[in-house]
Amino acid sequence: MKKHSLSSKGLLLFLFFFPVVLFAQETITGKVTNESTGEGVPFINIVEDGTNNGTASDIDGNFSLTVNNLPVKLKVFALGFTTKVVSVESTGSITIQVAEALEALDEIVVTGLATSVKRSNAANAVASISAEELVGTTPPPTIDGALYGKFPGAIVSANSGAPGGGLSVKLRGATSITGNTQPLYIIDGVYVDNSSIAAGLNAVSAAAAGGSASNQDNPTNRIADINPDDIANIEILKGASAAAIYGSRAAAGVVIITTKRGKAGETKYSVSQSTGWTQIINLLGTRNFNEQRVEDSFGAAEVPNFIAARDAGRLVDYEKEVFGEKGFITNTNFSVSGGGEKTRFFSGITYNNEEGIVKNTGYEKISVRLNLDHRMNDRVKLSLSSNYIHSSSDRGFFNNDNSGTTIGVGLTATVPWANLFPDANGNYPDYALGSSNILQTRDLVTNNEKVDRIILGGSANLDLYKAEKSSLELILRGGIDFYGQKSLAFFPKQLQFQKPSNGGVNGVSVQGATQNKNYNVSGFLVHNFTTDSELNFRTQAGLTREFFDRNTFLTTASGLVASESNVDQAQNTGINQFRLKQEDSGFFVQEEINYQDKVIGAFGVRGDKSSNNGDANQLYYYPKASIAANLHEFGFWKEDSFWNQLKLRAAYGEAGNFAPFGALFTSYTAFTTDGLLGISLIGTRGDSNIEPERQKEFETGVDIGFFDNRLSASITYYIKTVDDLILQPTREPSSGFTTEFVNAGSLRNNGIEIGLNATPYANDNFQWDTAVNFFKNTSEVTELNVPAFNIGAFGATLGTFRIEEGKSATQIVGITPNGLQVLGDAEPDFQMAFNNTVKYKEFELNFLFQWKKGGDNINLTALLTDLNGTSHDFDDIDLDPSGQLGNGDYRVSQLGTSAEVFVEDASYLRLRELGFYYSLPKNILESFAKGYVDNLKFGFSGTNLINIFDYNSYDPEVSNFGANGIFTGVEVTPFPSSKRYMFNVSVNF
Amino acid sequence: MKSIYKLMIFLLTTIGIVSCEVQEFSDLNNPEVDAFEENITRGDLQDLVGGIFYSSRVRLGTYYDDVAVIGREYWRFSSSDPRFTADLLGKGTSILDNNTFYTTAPWAARYRTVKNANLILGFIDPSKDLSGQFSDEELSVTRGFLKTMIAYELLLNLNLTYDNGIRIDVADEDNLGPFVSRTEALTGIRNLLVDGANDISNGGNDFPFVMSSGFSGFDTPSTFLQFNNAISARVAAYQEDYPSVLNFLSNSFLDLAGDLSIGPRHSFSEDQTDIANPLFFALNSSSAGARIAHPSFVNDAEIGDTRLDKVVLRNSSITFDDLTGEYDFFLYDSRVAPIPIIRNEELVLLYAEANIMANPSETIIALDVIRNAASLPSYSGGMMASELTTEMLNQRRYSLYGEGHRWIDARRFNILDQLPIDRIDDEGNPDDVWIEFPIPLTENQ
Repeated sequence: MKKHSLSSKGLLLFLFFFPVVLFAQETITGKVTNESTGEGVPFINIVEDGTNNGTASDIDGNFSLTVNNLPVKLKVFALGFTTKVVSVESTGSITIQVAEALEALDEIVVTGLATSVKRSNAANAVASISAEELVGTTPPPTIDGALYGKFPGAIVSANSGAPGGGLSVKLRGATSITGNTQPLYIIDGVYVDNSSIAAGLNAVSAAAAGGSASNQDNPTNRIADINPDDIANIEILKGASAAAIYGSRAAAGVVIITTKRGKAGETKYSVSQSTGWTQIINLLGTRNFNEQRVEDSFGAAEVPNFIAARDAGRLVDYEKEVFGEKGFITNTNFSVSGGGEKTRFFSGITYNNEEGIVKNTGYEKISVRLNLDHRMNDRVKLSLSSNYIHSSSDRGFFNNDNSGTTIGVGLTATVPWANLFPDANGNYPDYALGSSNILQTRDLVTNNEKVDRIILGGSANLDLYKAEKSSLELILRGGIDFYGQKSLAFFPKQLQFQKPSNGGVNGVSVQGATQNKNYNVSGFLVHNFTTDSELNFRTQAGLTREFFDRNTFLTTASGLVASESNVDQAQNTGINQFRLKQEDSGFFVQEEINYQDKVIGAFGVRGDKSSNNGDANQLYYYPKASIAANLHEFGFWKEDSFWNQLKLRAAYGEAGNFAPFGALFTSYTAFTTDGLLGISLIGTRGDSNIEPERQKEFETGVDIGFFDNRLSASITYYIKTVDDLILQPTREPSSGFTTEFVNAGSLRNNGIEIGLNATPYANDNFQWDTAVNFFKNTSEVTELNVPAFNIGAFGATLGTFRIEEGKSATQIVGITPNGLQVLGDAEPDFQMAFNNTVKYKEFELNFLFQWKKGGDNINLTALLTDLNGTSHDFDDIDLDPSGQLGNGDYRVSQLGTSAEVFVEDASYLRLRELGFYYSLPKNILESFAKGYVDNLKFGFSGTNLINIFDYNSYDPEVSNFGANGIFTGVEVTPFPSSKRYMFNVSVNF
Repeated sequence: MKSIYKLMIFLLTTIGIVSCEVQEFSDLNNPEVDAFEENITRGDLQDLVGGIFYSSRVRLGTYYDDVAVIGREYWRFSSSDPRFTADLLGKGTSILDNNTFYTTAPWAARYRTVKNANLILGFIDPSKDLSGQFSDEELSVTRGFLKTMIAYELLLNLNLTYDNGIRIDVADEDNLGPFVSRTEALTGIRNLLVDGANDISNGGNDFPFVMSSGFSGFDTPSTFLQFNNAISARVAAYQEDYPSVLNFLSNSFLDLAGDLSIGPRHSFSEDQTDIANPLFFALNSSSAGARIAHPSFVNDAEIGDTRLDKVVLRNSSITFDDLTGEYDFFLYDSRVAPIPIIRNEELVLLYAEANIMANPSETIIALDVIRNAASLPSYSGGMMASELTTEMLNQRRYSLYGEGHRWIDARRFNILDQLPIDRIDDEGNPDDVWIEFPIPLTENQ
C-alpha cells in the first residue's frame, strides 16, 4: 500500500496538473466516506486499476472520474487508509467507504529524538501499539499491563495480583544484573518516572531480616498512573541498536508514548463506560483434614477442636474467605477533541475504580488531560501536553515476612477449624496456632499509597529556512514530571501481633512522603537536503539536559496512642530520609541518507555526561549506524506481483546503563544503641570509579509482504552484549563487607523475533485478521572477573540464581545430594502470542492468546503451607519418587537436602484478552439518533479468562521481589492474580 | 546554506564548553568513609565508636540461636524459616549450609564490627597528627577499647567455625590474611586482648567518648580493663591454660561474694534506628516464631533449682516439625531487656574450672556459690577431677543457659554425644549434633 502511495507521487502530480480529457467515455461520480464516521474523506486517490488513469477526492470527499469503459475496477487508496478495490458496473453516483488503516499508525516510526522515519524505511524492528490494540479489546488496568503479547521481544510480568499495577517489562532478555532492567518511559517528550517506592511495611513484616535485603513491600510502579485511554500510540525501542540516540539511559529499551491530539474539524465527543468484576483465577483449596492428619500435624490437643468444628459444620475455607471476593470495577472515560486550522485540542477525563479480590484492597484513579496544538504561522508550531493524575491504591499486606504477620503467610498457618471471625462487638479472637488473625489483619490494616501527579510537556517547531530542495528546522522541547506520593501503613494496636501481651509493639504507623521532580529540556536542529538525483540527506544535532530530584521521608512510629495513626502520637518514632539527585547532559548528531527509498542509511553518535558516573564530567559516547534496503523499490517485480515488500535491514547501536544507586560510595549509616548515636558500615563497598554498563546491540532482519500486505512477516535476529557489567559480587565477609560493586563481566543475549500478520479472509461482510508473534532469547555470561556467585531469592537451600561464566545469566541453582546443581532457568524457552480479530457485519471478536513455554520459578509458597500442615496437596502422593511420602512431608523432607522440589516450571497458556462487540448499524443510528450519534458500540470483554498451567500455586506469573533485577520469578505467598470480566459501552458523537 | 552549517558548528562547539557542566554530588544520604581519613574530630570519634556498640549487636539473635539450638538448649520455631529446625538440628539428611543466613549472617556481622573498629584504628593511626583534637593517652585507651572489641567479635566467630578457623588479619580488605587454625586463632585473639590491655594501662583515666548504657560500670579505662581480662580468662580457658585463667581472673571483676549478674551487657531499645532484643518472644507464642526450651533442660534439673525460672510453662504444648515442647525459653522478659556479654557468674564458674586440677577445694567453694545462689544445697559429690568437671559443666549448663555456652562446653569437654537426639526420620536417619559451622562459601576457601 505504501509502495503505491509513494511510487504514485509523480502520477498524482500528473493528475492534478493535467486533467484527463482524452477518450472519455463513461464518468463515475461519487463520494469517499469514512467507514467509521460517515464523513467525507478528502484527498483519497481513486485510480482505474492497472492504469494511470485516476483522480483524487476533493475537500468534501467528492470525486469524478472518467473511464474508457465499464465495468471497471477502481483502486482507492491513501496514506492512513486501507487500500480497497471496488467494482463499478455503471455510471452514476457511488459511495465508497474507506476504513482508517490499523497499520496507519505504523507508517511513521519515531526513531530519533526529534525525527521519525517511515516504517518501510526503518532499519530496526520497532514495535508499535496503536490505541486500538492497547485498549480496543478490553480496558487494561494499567498501560504496562496492556503490553502482554502485543509484540515480540518483551517479557511482561505481573509481580502480584494486587490492584494498581506492579509490573515489570523486560525487553530482549537480560540487560543488567544489578542495574535497571526496566525500559525508559517517555511520554510526549517527557521523561516519566517509573519508581516503586516502598511504604515501609518491612517494619512489621521483617521480610528483609532473613538474609535478603531487597524490597519486598511490593509497591506500585508509578507508570501505572498513566491513563491508557489517553494514548494514541506506543513505540518500543527494544535495545541499543534502536535506542542509542537516548544514550546512557537506554540500555533497557525505551517506551515512547504519544498521547492523543485533536484533529481539525467538527468537535468530536467520545464517552465510554466499562463495568465489571475481578475474581481469583483459581483457588488452591484446603487440605482434606481428618482426625489422624490433625493429630500428626498439630498434636493431639487440636483433635477435639477439629472434631467439634467439623461436627458443628464450622470448618471454614479461609482461603476462599480471604481471596474469594469479587472486586467491582468501573472505568469511565470522556473525551472531547477538535479545533480549527490554527488551534486544535484533545481533552480527556478518566475515572477508574477497581476493587481487589481481597477486602480493603483497591485502586482508584482520576486522570485529566488537555493537549493543545497551535500553529502561530507558517513557520512556527507550538504544542502542549498536560496531564493531572490522582491515584490511590490499597495494596493489602502480602508477600514474604519473617514475623508470620502478612495475610499470605498468616493464611498458610490458618486451619479450617479455627474461628477468626469477630464477635458481635467487633472484637477479633486471637488465633492460637499462629501469630496473626488473618481476617483481623485484612480488615484493620491499611496499606495505602496516594499520588498526585502533574506531567507537562511542551514543544516548539520553527522552520528557520525552507526551500525547494532543503530546509532547516529548530525544535525546542521541555517537560516536567512532578508528583507527590503519600503512603500510610497502619497497624492498629488491637491486632493480634501488635498486642504487647503477644510480644507486639502496640501498634505501628508508617507514613511516607515522597516528592519527585524530573524535568528535561532539549533543542534540536534538523536539516534536510535533497539532491537532484533524489538523494536525501537529513542531518540533525541537538542538546539534551535531564534533571532528577527525589526526596523521600519515611516516618515509622510504634507504641501508638489510642487509635491514632499520626506518627507523633506514639512512644517511639524513627525517621528515614532518602534523597536522589541526578543531572545528565548530552548531545547528539545524526545523519540519515535516503536514496529514493531504496537504500536508507543512518549513523550518529550521542555523548552523555551524568552526575551518576564516577567522574561527572566525563563524556561517554554511544554510536549507532544502520542500513535498510527496500528491494521491492528496485523494480525487480512487476507492479502486480504478489510480492509487495522485501526489505533487508541491519542496525548497530550502543547504549548505557547507570550504576545502581549506592554503587559509587562506601558510606556509613546512622544507628543508635539505647539512645547512643553511632555510625556503622552496612556491608556494601562502593567504588567511585565505576563505569556505566555499555550495551552493544546488532540486529538484522527481513520484512516481507505479499498480496498488498495481506500476508506479511518480519523476522529479526539480534545479538546484544552488555560489557562493563556492574556486579555486586560477594566479598569475603571477613573483609567487613559482604558485597561490593565492580565492573566485572560481560553477558550476551541472542534472540530471534518473528511477527506474522495475515488477513486470511476478507469480504464486505466478513474479515479475519490474525497476528502471530514468536520470541526466543538465550543469555550467557561470557566473561566474569569475580568468582561465580549466588544472587537473589533465599539462598541455595531454597534455590537461588547464580552468575557463572559460560552459563545462562538467569540459571537457577540449589543444593542437591550431589552438591550445588543447576535446577532450572528463569528464561522461557520461547514466548508466542496469537492475536485474532474476526469481524462479521457489525460484530467484532478479538482474542489474544499468550503462551510462555518454559522458564522456571522458585516457589516457596507450598513449602510454607507444608510446614504448617495446611497444604492443599499435603496428602497427595505424586512428588516422592519412592511413592512413600505425601507431597507435604516430601517437600519438608527435601529441606536442607535438595532444592529441586522448589524449582517449578512456570509455563502458561492464557487467553490474555477477549473482546466481543456489536456496533449499531449506521441506518439504525441514523433513524433513532437523528445523526447526532456517529457510533455506538457495546460488548463484553475479559482478561485472563482461560489460564492453563501446571504450577503448584495461584499463578506462575509472580515476583516476591518486585520488578527490579532480572531475578524475579520467586514466589512467597503472593497476592493471587485475578481475571476480569467487563461490560463496555462506548459512544462517539 | 553556509550560514546554517556555521550555526550548527557553533552549536556543537558550545556543547562541550558551556551548556552541560554537570554538578557532581557526594553521597546525599550518608557519611562517606573517606571523609574521616583526615583530621577526625572528637565528635566524629564518638559517632564512630557508637557504631561499634550498634554493630556488635547485629545478628546476635542468629548467633545465639545457632549455638543454643545445636547445643540443645532450646528449639527455634519459625513457620516462615524452616531451616532452624531442619538444618541446625541435622534433621534427616539435612546438613549445615555454608551459604545460608545462619552461617553467613552472624559471621559477617561480627567481621563488620571488626571492620568498623579497624577503620577507626586507621583514622587514629599514630602516623597521623591528631594532637589538636586528642591527647596521646586518649588515643591509647581508644586503641585498647577497639582491640578488646575486635578480639571479642573474633572469638564469637571462632566459636562457630571452631576447627575450620578464622581470619585474624583483616584490616586491609583488599589483602586479607589467611585462615588460621583454632589454636593459632585463640593465640591471636589473646594477644590482641593483651595488647589492648597494655594500651589501656598506658593511657589516661578517661575515654574520649561515651559508651552505651550496657557498659555502665565498665566505661572507664580501669573498669573496662577488668572486662578485657574477663574475656582473656574465657579465651585462656578455651586454651586449657588454667594458670593464665586464674591470672586473668585476678585482674577481672570476679567477685565470689558479689552479684552474679554483674557484667557489661548489650543494651537495646525500641527506637526505630535501634535494635530490639532479638531473643525475646512473648509467652505462648505460636510456631510462627517461638523459642521453646528443650525438654531435657527441665527434665534434667535438680529439684528446687531456681534457675528453671529461665523457662515458663506454656498454656498448652506446642508442636512444630515433629518437635513438641511445653516450656517457653524466657531468659529475656521484654524487647528491651539487655543481653549479657560476660557475667560474674561465668567468672565464678571459670574460677571453679581453673582450680579443678590445682586446687579442688577452691572449685567446690566456687561451685557452692553458684549452687546456693540457685537455692540448691552445697555440693556433696565426689572430689575426683572428672566428678568436679561434670558438676562444673552441669552448673554452667543451668547458670549460663541460653547465653551461648552449652554447645561450646560440650565440644570443649568432648561430650557432644551426650546431647539429646530428638528425631529419627522415616529412613532411620537420626538428627545430628554438629561440631562446627562450615566456613561461609563467600570466603572463597
